[in-house]
Amino acid sequence: MKNVRVWFKKIGTARYISHLDLNRCMLRAIHKAKLPLWYTQGYNPHAFITFALPLSLGIGGERESMDIRLDDDGITREELIGKLNAALPDDIPVFDVTEPVMKPGQIAYASYLMKLETQGHPPEETAAAIRELFSRETVVVPKHTKNGMIDLDLRPYLDRTEVVARDDGVEISAMLPAGSTMNVNPSLLCDAMKKYLLLDLFSDIRRINLYDADFKIFE
Amino acid sequence: MVNKKIEKLLANVQKPGRYVGGELNCVRKHADEVDVRFAFCFPDIYEVGMSHLGLKILYSQLNTVPYVWCERVFAPWVDMEEEMRKNGLPLYALESGDSIRDFDIIGFTLQYELSYTNILNMLDLAGIPLKAEDRHSLSQLVVAGGPCACNPEPLADFFDLFFIGEGEEVDLEVVALYREYKKQDRSKEEFLKAASQIQGVYVPSLYHISYHEDHTVKAIVPKEGAPLPVKKRIMMDVDKSYFPDKFVVPYIEIVHDRTVAEVLRGCIRGCRFCQAGFLYRPFREKSVDVIDRQCHDLCDSTGYDEISLSSLSTSDHSRLNELIDRLHTWTEKENTGISLPSLRVDNFSPELMSKIKSVRRSGLTFAPEAGTQRLRDVINKNVTEEELMKTVNTAFKGGWTTIKLYFMIGLPTETLDDVAGIAELGQKVVDAFYANPDKPKGKGVKVTVSASSFVPKPFTPFQWEPQDTMETLRKKQRHLVASVKTRKVEPNWHEADTSFLEAVFARGDRRLCGVLLEAHRSGCKMDGWQNFFSFPKWMEIFERCGIDPAFYANRRRSFDEVLPWDHIDYGIKKSFLIDECKKAYANVTTPNCREQCSSCGASCFKGGICYEKRQGLV
Repeated sequence: MKNVRVWFKKIGTARYISHLDLNRCMLRAIHKAKLPLWYTQGYNPHAFITFALPLSLGIGGERESMDIRLDDDGITREELIGKLNAALPDDIPVFDVTEPVMKPGQIAYASYLMKLETQGHPPEETAAAIRELFSRETVVVPKHTKNGMIDLDLRPYLDRTEVVARDDGVEISAMLPAGSTMNVNPSLLCDAMKKYLLLDLFSDIRRINLYDADFKIFE
Repeated sequence: MVNKKIEKLLANVQKPGRYVGGELNCVRKHADEVDVRFAFCFPDIYEVGMSHLGLKILYSQLNTVPYVWCERVFAPWVDMEEEMRKNGLPLYALESGDSIRDFDIIGFTLQYELSYTNILNMLDLAGIPLKAEDRHSLSQLVVAGGPCACNPEPLADFFDLFFIGEGEEVDLEVVALYREYKKQDRSKEEFLKAASQIQGVYVPSLYHISYHEDHTVKAIVPKEGAPLPVKKRIMMDVDKSYFPDKFVVPYIEIVHDRTVAEVLRGCIRGCRFCQAGFLYRPFREKSVDVIDRQCHDLCDSTGYDEISLSSLSTSDHSRLNELIDRLHTWTEKENTGISLPSLRVDNFSPELMSKIKSVRRSGLTFAPEAGTQRLRDVINKNVTEEELMKTVNTAFKGGWTTIKLYFMIGLPTETLDDVAGIAELGQKVVDAFYANPDKPKGKGVKVTVSASSFVPKPFTPFQWEPQDTMETLRKKQRHLVASVKTRKVEPNWHEADTSFLEAVFARGDRRLCGVLLEAHRSGCKMDGWQNFFSFPKWMEIFERCGIDPAFYANRRRSFDEVLPWDHIDYGIKKSFLIDECKKAYANVTTPNCREQCSSCGASCFKGGICYEKRQGLV
């Protein structure tokens, strides 16, 4: 028996499926690939499979991970990657399989790349406006929580944010709290732009990486 | 595939996974490398359409042809439609994201009368003229097939041609002809005239319908050498007919999310209310080897861990036990379950029960259809109370405690006593549970009796019958509820108004085309969804069009009336249907095809059960 961490991307059409759907999709792929998945031994056996940190609907992921437990130690990394890719849709490619190093609970930050369409406005101007917004004393947006809507001040989380003008729009790289204790969804940054700058820009958001509290890359 | 234009709308809709494509096994080709682009349209949402076996078969089959690219199109849910209209995004196909307006052939499958308004809405959303006469080029050819095509008349104005019967061969023949005519730059008229000569193709514009003053049909006259009648197409060798080894596997959960194996076509039973039982005659079985191979291939290519053995009546397969044993040789190892969606009351054996239970337990549903023996004889549902009791006792012994029983109300000759009989039958099942010494310990029993409203359909012995008025149906529903004496029996029914509209369109004629157009203009869509269906709105539309819907739903036809679908031929003789109707009123049953041939006419197809050696009772 061994635990492995499967690394994959969630891109293209796969960005639009929920975590629940991704879970079912992976289970089917594992079944299709005929991997020796370990099943729980209880009354209702089910596969042992967990995801490090589920993505919100609509956000892409460049380095997502899923932990599975296999019954058989004989299978190689290359075999696993090959079999899973043959069983998954094109937009969920597996690119690595490793032994888990950190626990998903250690995740504290995530880095994102957001591409905003400026639609005719000069990107440089928009970028400047966003930079100005992100440096204000407070940037308060409404946020859904388990206990209803709260006002969240984004300002403390914007220090590791970079706003760059590109030919076709604005690119924001952001490092935001992520995980079970504190989580800031990057779309809140868009909400802030909408609220303060009246900018309703189409944004393509990708999660690039996950980190622990010391900003060490999640492995 | 999603492009930027589509993506921008997805943030504002529920379940964007419906609108993006890209699923496992979906077929991507290059548009400039094919000659014919085919949009396979299902006039309901993704989750419903993707559950449909016909779509899976024809999609895969059309895509085996190198010069064809068949893509899927579904009706967007209202939130997405609103976004699409607001942003000027026309209806697109899932594989390419391209607007279907530029496709060669736009094909709809007709599964349900209440989806007709969705067809018009989808054409409109695509920017395609609704009426066939307003589409002049050969491309944008709008075609349809499926069970409701057996009476295509209410849709005659909108479609260029209909496929009558089973599509596997005729679809390819029409596509091949289309390609030839497109290459030669021939006109749509020339193409339709040539297509009408293919067996199983009905070109409505080549038939002239005249009416009597009382609005009944006077005559149906073909033009330009079009055939009369139009004979259905049928796949006689079901072992050899095309079946896909791959299904598109949706990302999001759909209604029937599993491997579907088609084990047989047609039905031996001849229940007099059942349209499918007559449309798909004769009964044809697939062999155990073929089904086993197809199941295994599909499970391998999809990753599904459940197989549904699908057909009109799966337990009528003569080698069902052998089939399940064969499947078990690999399904148990691979953690794959087997389910049988359609079980008959009279052949649910302990042996069969133990075989499906060995993997996974699902609920048990049976369809006695009527509450009393007299009425079951009328409809030729050859199931006795004794058999039902034997069956439920088998199920209780096997540990089941939830039984669902399906019935119809509004059947010909039905009285309130027959309705009360539904509740009584439910009660008897409850009593049988408590009398059963082997019942599961410490558990209660739940019997759901579900009553839908009978809709008389073309090509059945009841095609001349009036449907009960909604008032009568509601009275019967109330009587059913009042007749239930315990909480162990739970009555359940469907609204009568949707059944009424279904009855209107099921037996409608071309005068209803105007009603559909008006309904579409008034915003009717998703009529099959209770929260969108507005009965008062429909009544207003009928009134505006000067058409009395009761003429279609509640009128008794005489046997010599010309029916709007009389020019369509499914191989079943009208004289047989008339005899069956008369036998119904005399409470006389007809033996099933395995017991004895009743000369319905289906033997004209030269195969299937009509040519099998009968071994007496099965």
